[in-house]
Amino acid sequence: MYDRRVVRGNTYALQVIPACTHPDPLEIQRQRETRRRALARKRTKEQEQSRTPEPVEGREHVCVQTELYLEEISDWVIGIDTECQTDAFLDRPPTPLFIPAKTGKDVATQIEEGELFDFDIEVKPILEVLVGKTVEQALLEVMEEEELARLWAHQCAYAELRNAELAEVQRLEEQDRRYREEKERRKRQHKELLQKQKETTEKIAARAFAKRYLADLIPSVFNNLHESGFFYDPIERDIETEFLPWLMTEVEETLERKVLGRTMLDSLIRTVVEKRLDAFSSQPSFDQTEEPAEEPKPTDIEPQVAIETDADDQPVTEEKETEKLVAEAQRPRRISFMLHDSDQAETEDLETE
Amino acid sequence: MAHARISANLPPNIDPTKAPIAFGRRGLPKLNEELQSPELLTQQRALMALCDLVHDPEKVYQMVEIGFLDNLKTLLRHHDSTIRQKTTEVLYIMAMHSVGRQGLIQNGVISALAELLDDPVDICRKNTHQTFEMMAKLPEGAVDILRAGLIPFLVLKLKTEPDEIQELILDTLSNCLRVEASEALANDAVTILKEKLTHPSVAIRSKAAWVLLEIGTHPEGKNTICEEVTPVLVSLLEDADPEVQASATGALMFATVKPQGRFSALGAGAIPPLLKLVAEETSKARLSAIKTLTMLAEVPEGRRTLLGHTDTFQQCLNDPSEAVKRAAQIAIRVIQWKPF
Repeated sequence: MYDRRVVRGNTYALQVIPACTHPDPLEIQRQRETRRRALARKRTKEQEQSRTPEPVEGREHVCVQTELYLEEISDWVIGIDTECQTDAFLDRPPTPLFIPAKTGKDVATQIEEGELFDFDIEVKPILEVLVGKTVEQALLEVMEEEELARLWAHQCAYAELRNAELAEVQRLEEQDRRYREEKERRKRQHKELLQKQKETTEKIAARAFAKRYLADLIPSVFNNLHESGFFYDPIERDIETEFLPWLMTEVEETLERKVLGRTMLDSLIRTVVEKRLDAFSSQPSFDQTEEPAEEPKPTDIEPQVAIETDADDQPVTEEKETEKLVAEAQRPRRISFMLHDSDQAETEDLETE
Repeated sequence: MAHARISANLPPNIDPTKAPIAFGRRGLPKLNEELQSPELLTQQRALMALCDLVHDPEKVYQMVEIGFLDNLKTLLRHHDSTIRQKTTEVLYIMAMHSVGRQGLIQNGVISALAELLDDPVDICRKNTHQTFEMMAKLPEGAVDILRAGLIPFLVLKLKTEPDEIQELILDTLSNCLRVEASEALANDAVTILKEKLTHPSVAIRSKAAWVLLEIGTHPEGKNTICEEVTPVLVSLLEDADPEVQASATGALMFATVKPQGRFSALGAGAIPPLLKLVAEETSKARLSAIKTLTMLAEVPEGRRTLLGHTDTFQQCLNDPSEAVKRAAQIAIRVIQWKPF
């Protein structure tokens, strides 16, 4: 750094500083004027010269001159090399003991044994505290261990008890389960037994009842069958089915023959009577005898029926029959009746024959 | 610049592996921040300091309140084994306090710990199993473990892990299976436990028998045990160690509730060793033995055999324990019961 006050470099090459420090007023004035002129010249020069661009907003161009602070870098300072060497170490003698001069008074004091304090008495409380604390700590540790051991033993005993109780509970549970199952089984067995018994009694009762109910089944069945004709006497059946129809047909045939005969006879008689009528028509008095003969016929029939039942009056009946036969064509209803009567007569005839 | 340290020699009681703990209430929050720092050394030192602090229940409560457990859960998956080991140790010590246990359940730490079951480092796994064991002692903890579906993994691990970890697993299983046994049965736990019953180590034998006991409290478990395990349990009754005898008797007690169990126990000749156990005044298995004999007395052959031994039960009536007296009375009543 350049300090104007400090002289650098050659002192004898430098200019002599003026001795007087108070400059003349004239000199000062002249200096001022020259400065002013220089400034004016500078300004004109600046104005003529092309200026540097205008400063940016907010900034200001400032002229700076480092003249005052210029340093000649190439200034070679004159230097001289010199060497120096100290002598080899010499043994220094020890410094003598510094004993200051004695001033003041000499006074001596001495602490005899037993004057300051009694070690044995004083050490007791300290020792007591030390030993006491150590023992207390040791006791604490031992107590802790003992407590832990006691707790552990207590826990073991408790665990044992707990296990024993648990086992007892489970044993009783098991026992209870067994008893219950046994009870259930027995109850079931007993129920089955009762069920079976009930069934057996019901079966017996049903059997007895059925037996009694069906006791007269067979006779009633046989009765019913018998009544409905399932058990028939074969001969009787035979007679009924074959013999009697044959008999009836034969009887019918015989009766038909009889009827035929009678019809023949009727027609014969009719023709005869007609012939006679014709023959006797010349004599009309016989008509009246015939008509009354016809009228009492309905009344005659009843007594005739009564009479005809007699088997002894056969010829009489024959006569009556012939009289009836005259009026047959007009009274068909009576014919059948008469036929019936004649049938009966015929059967009687047949029987007598 | 002035340092807080005056001399280059550290004071004699400082452990350089631990982070310095701030005073009073500021201690744990500062450790919390240090745990989240990206630098490994800081995290390790913070964890070491935490392990010491966590023995105090008040600190545990404060930790749960501040929300340490989320950070610890993240750290469980760290690649550095020291960090994992220390984190699991912290969680284990927390689980020893009741507040800590509650906090662990609420923050779902158990499922996060489940990932560490396959950790290559032994000590991490051991701490994990210790934590599970502690949690399983609490009923909600046991339910949580069951719900996280850890039982199949634990049963599988029984085959592969070293002995001390197996003991921890057996303890965890016994506490969890007390609640529900179906998952374990589905994973064929009974076969594995049957092998363990003949293990040379006493602790493993007794704990395996205890797990079988817990399985036997459930009906479906009883069926499996009756079929396969009863003869082995009967042989364990004559084991030298009283713990093993006690657990085996307990397991038999539950196995003989069902009729098939009773028959298989009788067939294996369970009555003489049980009578011996009852006769001993100071055996732990006395109560269980009396109960088992009560179960066996409900079977006709058992009753016949036991009718000759009722004086043993009479002696039990003088036992100081109330439960034993009651059990002996019940036993005498069952033995002398007649159907008519």
